Amino acid sequence: MTESLGITVEGVHFGYPERPVLRGVDLAVRPGELTALVGLNGCGKSTLLRLAAGLLRPGRGRVLLGGDDLARLSRRDTARRVALLHQSAPAVPGMTVRQLVRQGRYAARGPLGMLREGDDPVVRRALRDVGVESWAERPVDALSGGERQRVRLATALAQDTRILLLDEPTTYLDLHHQLDVLRTVVRLREERGLTVVMVLHDLAHAARFAERLVALRDGRVVADGPPRDVVTPGLLADVLRVAGRVGRDPEGGWPVCYPDHPLPGVEYENHIH
Amino acid sequence: MSRRCTVLVALVVVCAGAELVAGRGMSPAAVGDVLAGGGTSTERHILFHLRLPRMLVALGAGACLGVAGLVLQSALRNPLAGPEVTGVTPGAVLGAVTATGLGLAGWESPLAVVVAACLGGCAGAALLWLLAGRGGDDPARTAVHGVLVSAVLGGLTAMVLLVAPGELGSVVQWLVGTTEGRVWQHWHLLWPWALAWTAAAWLLAGPLTLLRCGDDMAGAAGLSTGRARRLALLCAVALTSGAVAAVGALGFVGLLVPHLALAVFGADLRRSLPGAALAGALVVCGADAAAQLLSRPVASALGAGSLTLPVGALTTCAGAVLLLAVVRRAPDRTF
Repeated sequence: MTESLGITVEGVHFGYPERPVLRGVDLAVRPGELTALVGLNGCGKSTLLRLAAGLLRPGRGRVLLGGDDLARLSRRDTARRVALLHQSAPAVPGMTVRQLVRQGRYAARGPLGMLREGDDPVVRRALRDVGVESWAERPVDALSGGERQRVRLATALAQDTRILLLDEPTTYLDLHHQLDVLRTVVRLREERGLTVVMVLHDLAHAARFAERLVALRDGRVVADGPPRDVVTPGLLADVLRVAGRVGRDPEGGWPVCYPDHPLPGVEYENHIH
Repeated sequence: MSRRCTVLVALVVVCAGAELVAGRGMSPAAVGDVLAGGGTSTERHILFHLRLPRMLVALGAGACLGVAGLVLQSALRNPLAGPEVTGVTPGAVLGAVTATGLGLAGWESPLAVVVAACLGGCAGAALLWLLAGRGGDDPARTAVHGVLVSAVLGGLTAMVLLVAPGELGSVVQWLVGTTEGRVWQHWHLLWPWALAWTAAAWLLAGPLTLLRCGDDMAGAAGLSTGRARRLALLCAVALTSGAVAAVGALGFVGLLVPHLALAVFGADLRRSLPGAALAGALVVCGADAAAQLLSRPVASALGAGSLTLPVGALTTCAGAVLLLAVVRRAPDRTF
């Protein structure tokens, strides 16, 4: 983990002629930045993450990781630079936690290296990072949703990349486990200077944990900046299509949203505390 | 883990031993005599030129089918995939039968049978690929398409048999699967092929384990999923075709042995691929020994002196029961 890598998205279009998903996205994620992507379902957030992970190729435009054009990198070279945690994963019957986390080493070790016995230190560190070493031999299928998500995060961390992309890492989790995952990400990013981009549905989490908030609507970036500047009633209305008010956390100062408030049919003056 | 492996190896040895003493024409005591260096020349011939190659062919074909099944199920992420239900086995049978019917292959040219079976297996897999297309993600749909492809190929095989019944006798056994009359020539063709493709499959153990985790994760972890899947399918087709050319369409072995191997050796294919080879060898060899032992009472009950049960009939019956058990055990498991 020497220096961090940034992500540069230049004029990226993606989709089909009749159904464009991204229509000209420009975004420069600086090295070491913690960015949250927000927007409605289908606005192109997940597609943008997949493009940044090299799993999709843009129709127009290009994606650079620290100056290297993704189109010129092999699948394995890409996976050594960027790890992507998908929103959901199918069950893998019979696989233990350690076996699953080991799979993250594929890019580093290659197909024949995966045949060697034993874990390298990175796997042990990844298990430790998310606090699952003590049950490394348990089958993944027997874990609760929150535990499983931590294990999947460990698999992405085992890729030992400088860029971490997370697609709705808190979906299906209760509030306790949502905060658990987000705090782990924030801590690791501070310890190792990771560049993190995560799709979040909960604007409260985005405003609380991210340094930078990027809002997408209909395949375009419509707001970009620190949460305290970007999160406004206008953003709620335009991007998330909800009426609401925005306040400030009395201690931390980050924006706090009160969606669906004022209640429909009741006239209030929209104001900011 | 190593204890389970030892137990399995011991079982394989026991089954191989049973296979050597089973069968008519020679009592177990006579087998002991021959192994001790005695016995008549006929007995020596039976043991060393009929029973021994037959046992080895059964072991080798079983190993091929077990590995092919596990590779297929992992590559397609489909626990219901198997050489029998993905068009590979019926295609290989069609290839072997057609080549024999056209006079291009036969008992005298086993290599031509292997080649024909391979071409047929590839054609069967390609047919399924065309039908299922990119939407081959859904296990149930792939299984349905596989049944369709298998039915069509089976019909074509029947047609070839009706049109060109010349070598019918030698050809029919490919339909059921039998180790009857396999000699050293078959073994010499089978083992290099089986060894090479099993080794190739084992080299793919890392990518295949990743493919089991789903394409999303495998791709993100750095695997070119399309290429890995194509290589894996090639291995599976080659292994199945080798087995079919040697012993015919042994039902359910390739479908069920992987479940056994995964249950015993876990989801890491570095271990469960060799495990599937062992389990497949065990199942086919054991079934062949059992079929020979059963043949005697069945034959005497029916009054048909020379009746022999083909091993394929036994694996199919036992396999159907086991498949029901697998499905019943976990009715709502998300595969």
